[in-house]
Amino acid sequence: MIGIISYLTFFLTITAVLAIAVLGLNLQWGNTGIFNGGVVAFFGTGAYVMVILAGPERAGEFGGFGLAWPLAMIGGALGAGILAFIVGLATTRLRHDYLAIATFGIAVAVEVFARNATFWTGGAKGIRGFERPLEAFISNPFVYGLFYLTIVLAVILLVYLALERLVRSPFGRLLRAIREDETAARSLGKYPARVRLQAFVLGAIIMGLAGGLYATFYAFISPQDLAPILTFQIWAMLIVGGAGNNRGAIAGTFVVWGCWVASGWALSSFAPADVQIYAGTLQYILIGLLIVGMLLAKPRGLLPEKLAVSTHSFEPVTPAKATQAS
Amino acid sequence: MSMKTTTLWGALALGVCLPAAPALAQDCTVKIGAVLPTTVDWGRPIAATAQFAVDLFNEAGGVKGCKVEMSLRDSQVDPKIGVDAAKALVDLEKVPVLLGAVSSGVSMPILTSVTVPSKVMQMSCCSSSTAFTGVAEEGKTDGLWFRTFATTRNQSAVAALLTQERGYKKVAIFYKNDDWGQDIGKLVQADLEKLGIEVTSSTAITDGQSSYRSEVTEALKTQPDAIYMALYPSEGTLVTREWISLGGTQNMVVANALKSDEYRDNVGLKYLGNLVGHDSAQPRTASAEDFVALYKAKFNAEPNGPGLPNSFDAAMIALLAMQASAESTGPAIAASVGRVTDPAGEAIFPNKEGLEKAIKLLDEGKNISYQGGTGPVTFDKNGDVSAPAVAWAFDESGTREVKYFTLDEVNAFIATLEK
Repeated sequence: MIGIISYLTFFLTITAVLAIAVLGLNLQWGNTGIFNGGVVAFFGTGAYVMVILAGPERAGEFGGFGLAWPLAMIGGALGAGILAFIVGLATTRLRHDYLAIATFGIAVAVEVFARNATFWTGGAKGIRGFERPLEAFISNPFVYGLFYLTIVLAVILLVYLALERLVRSPFGRLLRAIREDETAARSLGKYPARVRLQAFVLGAIIMGLAGGLYATFYAFISPQDLAPILTFQIWAMLIVGGAGNNRGAIAGTFVVWGCWVASGWALSSFAPADVQIYAGTLQYILIGLLIVGMLLAKPRGLLPEKLAVSTHSFEPVTPAKATQAS
Repeated sequence: MSMKTTTLWGALALGVCLPAAPALAQDCTVKIGAVLPTTVDWGRPIAATAQFAVDLFNEAGGVKGCKVEMSLRDSQVDPKIGVDAAKALVDLEKVPVLLGAVSSGVSMPILTSVTVPSKVMQMSCCSSSTAFTGVAEEGKTDGLWFRTFATTRNQSAVAALLTQERGYKKVAIFYKNDDWGQDIGKLVQADLEKLGIEVTSSTAITDGQSSYRSEVTEALKTQPDAIYMALYPSEGTLVTREWISLGGTQNMVVANALKSDEYRDNVGLKYLGNLVGHDSAQPRTASAEDFVALYKAKFNAEPNGPGLPNSFDAAMIALLAMQASAESTGPAIAASVGRVTDPAGEAIFPNKEGLEKAIKLLDEGKNISYQGGTGPVTFDKNGDVSAPAVAWAFDESGTREVKYFTLDEVNAFIATLEK
């Protein structure tokens, strides 16, 4: 029983960490329509900067500042934000697929940098992290798992509430206005370029936060964690959950990541021994089928965006009311 | 939900449920976990070899009379997936021993966040990064970490020795741009320079490119009289082809990862006459030949892929340690590894008869000296193996051994390098 709870704790922790990144993407894509194809760049920057800031000294390599963990987390998130600011400025004129390709390129560049700049990032062998916060005081790994889950849940709750508030605010409406029609937004005296940059940086900061939590949890980060598959996974989670809906983003993470690991578990438990070798390949097919099936059943995601078109302005135009008035 | 999607869900459910669990022959079972990259072409034989070791052990009676079941999970070479798989095996299936992973970038987070906190023994067939030695030296592995792949340190020394023996004076290095490649590339360069051999260039090769012409051209300009390659077959084939077609020297020293028929066939044997490779595995001992014969009988092919004897030995040693251990807990099993790899114990070859004898000896409280696909295995205090080395070359039937370096010769040479 303890085993199941222990695994569930672990599963929920990773899911929640990924969900934070999905929330970041939801702000960018779901609300503002910014096609970020390089999620992993911001996730990874957050992770690396956090580990370098808080980590122990490494022989002949940069880092070892031993900063307090919360500060390092903020540093990591800011690092991701700064990268997003530079990328956002550089790609300010790009939209849709062009932006996707440009950001994908940034992600590859970040991965290649991490793999080769041994002095800064430890190269391909990665950086070993540090004792997780307060781990020295909670020696039981099971209890510590629950404790860390609480931290991650607190962060995701904070991010969720902040984003909910943000998307319901006038700024949130402005984001959606830009998503739907930039020219129209501009005609109303708004600056789409500036707002897009703000949303992009904010989303990246949230992704950086997720990266920091991820590297803290594993106490390790290497370029292998920055593979493009992560960007794909985050996108799949958002699309399945429902772009534009924060609760959908979180639900999508649970469903996609849950299916991802459950399919591996199911195959290893139920497939006959001689098929086991091919179970990994079968798993990919299952995951693909699952995502396609989900999208066929719910094309707008599990929890689609509630189109909160300002109801007041539409009231007089509804036919029923119109007849009443006349 | 439309008709189409209902069918799809149905098909999906069928796909998951149809292959029912096979009936168990013996009344008790013992579980062992494995996290290996079965989605990758070279990872699949590694997993098959581990499963083969488990099957052999079951034929010899199993662990303490119980049938061993290997729960195999795919790592997809993704640390997240690998760690999740390891966590599920440890928490849900309660395995006391975990085999894997292959990439050091996956093995390391499994070690730091799953096996050490949960007190589970981890034995990798193929992770060669020197980073593990560092972690072990800091006392962070609690003696739970082992690997049957000689560290990169051992490999690089042999590479340098082979280069020196052949009288090459100027060497260009190509290394795979991952943790293993960067590690060995750097070490080989240092060792060569210590021997007074000039390293004219050291080039990182990132896999998945369709051509390496620019990398090859740059290295060619430095006019080396030999090249050293620490590459995998896919990118190694491309680099070698382009190197030779641009007129580069055919004097090549290569790491064990290129010891594959695929590489030999794709480059062409006639260009590989001057190639010599190094490998920690398959020394000229009876046990190594025994392994090759066993492998051939089972798979009808030479064990030519990377890491196969290592995977076999990792699984076997883990199983024997489970047999030797009084308790079925990670630390107890890890502590029993010494009983299985005791140089003073009776030599054991891992075929059915050998295993039956080993089980009997261990039950009597005697120690054994396991001699498997990589020869007589002994772990040092960091869980590292120092294996004897072998130089090999390609021939018509596959590979042949050129020269055998005993464990003592390898260690003595490393000592001269580190003076």
